[in-house]
Amino acid sequence: MSESEPTDERPANAGAGTDTNEKRNATTDTDTGTDGTEGTSKEETAAATDDRGARSAAETAQMDAAESLLAVRDLDAGYSDLRILYDVFLDVADGEYVTIVGPNGAGKSTVMKSVFGLTTYMGGSITFAGTDITGRSPEDIIHRGIGYVPQNDNVFTSLSVAENLAMGAYILEDVPEEALREVYERFPILDERREQKAGTMSGGQRQMLAMGRALMLEPDLLLLDEPSAGLAPDLVEEMFDKIDEINEAGTAILMVEQNAKEALRRCDRGYVFVQGHNRFVDSGQALLEDEEVRREFLGG
Amino acid sequence: MGIADTYSDSRRFVVARPFALVVGLLVVLLAVDFVSGLATGRIAVSDVATLVWDGLMQGLVVGLAGIGLSMTYSILNFANFAHGDYITGGAFSGWAVTYLLAGLGRADVGSLLLVGAGGSVFGGALGIGITATPIAVLGGLVFAGLFTVILALVIDRLVYRSMRDQGGISLLIASVGIAFALRYLIAFVFTTENRGVTDAGGVPEIQGYLLDGYVAISAHDATLLVVAVGLMLGVHFLLQRTKLGTAMRAMADNEDLARVTGIPTERVVRATWVIGGALTGVAGYMFVLWKGTIGFNDGWLLLLLVFAAVILGGIGSVYGAILGGLVIGLTSSMSVLWIPSDFARAAAFFVMILVLLFRPEGLFEGRSTA
Repeated sequence: MSESEPTDERPANAGAGTDTNEKRNATTDTDTGTDGTEGTSKEETAAATDDRGARSAAETAQMDAAESLLAVRDLDAGYSDLRILYDVFLDVADGEYVTIVGPNGAGKSTVMKSVFGLTTYMGGSITFAGTDITGRSPEDIIHRGIGYVPQNDNVFTSLSVAENLAMGAYILEDVPEEALREVYERFPILDERREQKAGTMSGGQRQMLAMGRALMLEPDLLLLDEPSAGLAPDLVEEMFDKIDEINEAGTAILMVEQNAKEALRRCDRGYVFVQGHNRFVDSGQALLEDEEVRREFLGG
Repeated sequence: MGIADTYSDSRRFVVARPFALVVGLLVVLLAVDFVSGLATGRIAVSDVATLVWDGLMQGLVVGLAGIGLSMTYSILNFANFAHGDYITGGAFSGWAVTYLLAGLGRADVGSLLLVGAGGSVFGGALGIGITATPIAVLGGLVFAGLFTVILALVIDRLVYRSMRDQGGISLLIASVGIAFALRYLIAFVFTTENRGVTDAGGVPEIQGYLLDGYVAISAHDATLLVVAVGLMLGVHFLLQRTKLGTAMRAMADNEDLARVTGIPTERVVRATWVIGGALTGVAGYMFVLWKGTIGFNDGWLLLLLVFAAVILGGIGSVYGAILGGLVIGLTSSMSVLWIPSDFARAAAFFVMILVLLFRPEGLFEGRSTA
């Protein structure tokens, strides 16, 4: 991990103001190990310490980075001029179920979008199955075995269920019969409504359709952005069960979730992000039991 | 609901939408006048049939030309004002080939390729018509489509592509510039003179007696009907039954999602220009075959009606463009029963405004190619 590159040498972002400075200070503290000497407030010092804590855990995790299916290193990214992510790292092993949790604006979705090449790249690396995929087109990334389910507007509303699924396999010559059958088996509701327009379906059904579409290419890694957002409570449970099933069938999952407790209960490993920085990383269970994580991010 | 409620409901309607009431009365008045005119013989049934047929033909041309405009709008998110001059470009390129095929050996190649610019050679003298020179007409038709595809792709590559993420207004303004450049390039090459291109007297027609007079359908009407309906069915098949068509609908629906789904959006854009361009070129050629004259302003003037049709149908909807074309064609044709034919276009626009007042999103709720 190339920590030698100090963050504060990069130009400050327009509009980010003091907020950015604060964050940069926190990172610098960690980088240099001068525990909070530059920080002036108690909060900053605390943040810096925690950041370092996260790193040491991550460094352990990175020992076997060669085995990672997805490896994000020192990623800086954002949207045009606005920087959102600061030296973010993240690993997903083959078949692993990883969740990213954290407060609003932590950059959770941005990490995911960055993997898919949908943000402005500002530094660092993203490797998938040993290949650097930074700056590749979504089409190419899909080809390599990553599926992505965005949070909003994730189905083609004017297309039927069957057409939506067929579009999921656009890069293939023909619709893969086997994969299609599996999707219909996994989500029987889609089978029943093949000809229905996606726009007339409920939120939960759309979410299933969006997942089904991403599964059409049988990806090695599935990126799920807030799969439970906007779903009725009884559907949330069902959705998480489906994700478990997909994971058990061998697909690695990288999921961003607001429903942090449930997500951490189910995943193998969890990352806590705060303001575009890594804060904690550990097994889902350990994070759930961690006093600080509970108090700050899981509402006690 | 009591009588008092009904009364106040209708009263509220009158107060809230006085304009609707006026329009309703106008429609009733025209309908009454129309029926009484037919009953008293003031309006001849055969004349009405002729007008309906004529309107239908005009509607097919407008609808066919509108498909391309609607397609590019829904997928590229901008209104291409150069579309009218794509129509003209297609027409001239196609007719140059038709002249060449029909008149080779009888006139010099230069005059033929310039579609008889400056009165050097006349289409009538060459005896051009679908029955007399079918190969020349079909050859010209195909070439018009091909040429317009190339024209559309070249302009996209040179101008629109580099502006793709700059928003609809910049693209629209650029397209106005392209429209002028193309139109005057065409005028420069082919001259500004309006000229006849078909052997109007030599086109066979079927006449049918209808109650009080004859209704004629010419071979060129029939050709237009076959070509336009055939292409419209073809577009329907493409959009609904093929992978490319589904991808086009997907992209019109949600471009960002199309991209993360792995649909090669730039390739779909190119396919859109190919299909839209071909239809536009063919529409231009057929328009000229049907009316029998060609001029450098044809497409530009037609564009107003095409826009009216596309907006009426719901901009972005291919089916809306077809239906809108027919409504516009029939309206401008039928309006001559009441107003001088010079105002026929105005009538078409009036109907467009009326429809939009009651259905602002257009007949087919635009922006979905489906």
